[in-house]
Amino acid sequence: MPTATAAAQTRAPALLAEGISKAFMSGHQRTQVLDGLTLSLDAGELTLISGPSGCGKSTLLAILSGLQKVDSGRVRALGSELGQLDLRALERFRLQHTGFVFQGFNLFPALSAFEQVELPLNHMGLSRNEARRRAQQSLEEVGLAHRMRLRPSELSGGEKQRVAIARALAKEPELLFADEPTSALDAANGQMIIDILHRIARTHGTTVLCVSHDPRLVVHADRVLAMEDGRILSDQRPPTPAAQDNGIPS
Amino acid sequence: MVALARKTLIYEWRRFLPAMLAVGFAGLLQLLQIALVLGIFGSTSLYITGSSADVWIGYPGTQSVGSGRNIDADVESRILMDPAIQRVEPYIWVDGDWRGPRDTGGVSVFVSGIDTSPDGLMFSKALPANLRARLAEPDAVVVDRSVLDQLGVGIGQTATINGHQVRVVGISSGLRALGGVNVLCSLDTARQLDEDPADSGPTYLVAKLHDPSQADAVAIRLRGGTAFGPYTTWSAKDFAKISVRYWLFDTGAGAGVLFLAGIVFLVGAVITSQTLIAAVNGSVREYATLNALGVGVGALRKVVLEQAFWVGALGLLGAGLLGIVLMMLARSQDVPVVLTVPAAVACILLVMGLAAVSGLAAMRALRRADPATLLR
Repeated sequence: MPTATAAAQTRAPALLAEGISKAFMSGHQRTQVLDGLTLSLDAGELTLISGPSGCGKSTLLAILSGLQKVDSGRVRALGSELGQLDLRALERFRLQHTGFVFQGFNLFPALSAFEQVELPLNHMGLSRNEARRRAQQSLEEVGLAHRMRLRPSELSGGEKQRVAIARALAKEPELLFADEPTSALDAANGQMIIDILHRIARTHGTTVLCVSHDPRLVVHADRVLAMEDGRILSDQRPPTPAAQDNGIPS
Repeated sequence: MVALARKTLIYEWRRFLPAMLAVGFAGLLQLLQIALVLGIFGSTSLYITGSSADVWIGYPGTQSVGSGRNIDADVESRILMDPAIQRVEPYIWVDGDWRGPRDTGGVSVFVSGIDTSPDGLMFSKALPANLRARLAEPDAVVVDRSVLDQLGVGIGQTATINGHQVRVVGISSGLRALGGVNVLCSLDTARQLDEDPADSGPTYLVAKLHDPSQADAVAIRLRGGTAFGPYTTWSAKDFAKISVRYWLFDTGAGAGVLFLAGIVFLVGAVITSQTLIAAVNGSVREYATLNALGVGVGALRKVVLEQAFWVGALGLLGAGLLGIVLMMLARSQDVPVVLTVPAAVACILLVMGLAAVSGLAAMRALRRADPATLLR
């Protein structure tokens, strides 16, 4: 797998948001969640958005991933103008290009880890064998090769989140979105999850956008955006990029 | 393809059990209701379906077997003139008032006077040959096993019908009637029991054809002659239908059946849809995640519909098995139950329709599976 970081610098950004605004109405109260925000993300990087709760980071993630529409401004993802896609086209775009990891693991209780990962692949038009090969591969990549016949009830929290990551990863997405992926986990498991996400960005050239208020994650990110009140306050690249993420989680 | 619908159904069977029970009991109720209705109202055409006559000749406008009027005895010779006819025999229907040896009060009975010869057509399928032969004795009658208590007699005992003494020489089964009690006797005995001096000819003539498949054509051909007084003809099948339809629709019973079927459908659909909706709500975050990953809403709807289908199919299976047991139990207790193929198909369609309606209702719950809600 080629490292895409260098090439990404010269290419158009994988994800570009220009002047996006979003407001919610609750009763007669209008809350401006995002206010003319501009942002560009490059492929092969793990970008962390941090900020206090209610700062609009989850809304930003929903908009950048095409789950929500903007009030004004525009979002270009992989060259597609998300605002111009209808519901079906957005679904198709997400199916082909994006992966999601949520705070809750959202696994079907009835399915084994392997089936959780295989299920979305069935809908991508892959052959049965290809879907199984990919499911196997991505479960191995998150270190769950020996646990893939187990159901969620038989897995620990960290393992469940790794299944959720494998489910997103098996789609081989260009864009991977993670919303507070470690907040339900203890330190060790949280560490492992962020390592995996970082490695995915490096080895697959995936654009990984992670939203979290977990300060432990900051040192592992290639880029950290601090948000407050719907605006980006700071945009930093931590001086010590995570170098230890080549280890395979046990 | 990962069988999400089926695997969830199996793994979370407790969640789906109420829906399966609701579908099953709705199916069972419909099944037994239809079987009972067909059994009970089918007994109104027993006289036709229990006999081997192909064509019936009776008074024009007759609405059911039990409401016939006498026709001229000479019609028989007219019928016999047709080359298609193999055999004709009279059938006399007399409404009687039964007084048994025990204290039973008066019992309304339907006396059927039939040809007792071994090749007689009437009740040839319902009456064993030895009992038919014994009817040839004067004043001999045969009654159904299930009405002995009602009539207050046992075999060999005497009673009176319309003041005339009769003797029970045999007990048969499958002769239950609706709204009264069937009593079988010979033509001669029946004539003596008839109190109305105006009644001279038989109530019906029944005919057997050389080729039974010609029944409709022959019935039409024989119709319309007036030289021997008013009469008309029906093929046995048509007359049975007319009889059953009279009871089903002209007595309001059919409307009651349809009403009950509607209620059962509604209750079953409410319970089933609520259960399916609860199941969808229980997995709404997982569905939303699939949708975030790009699995279309249409595909998710299919999962819900498939679950509804399996709930319907499993409920139906349970209803079918239990239904067969209950029908056998009913048969053993002489409760008239009949299930025809069209009725069974109607039941299956109704139950699967119920499941489908419930599935469609549950699909609406998927609207809550908006992936954006996972990001709050």
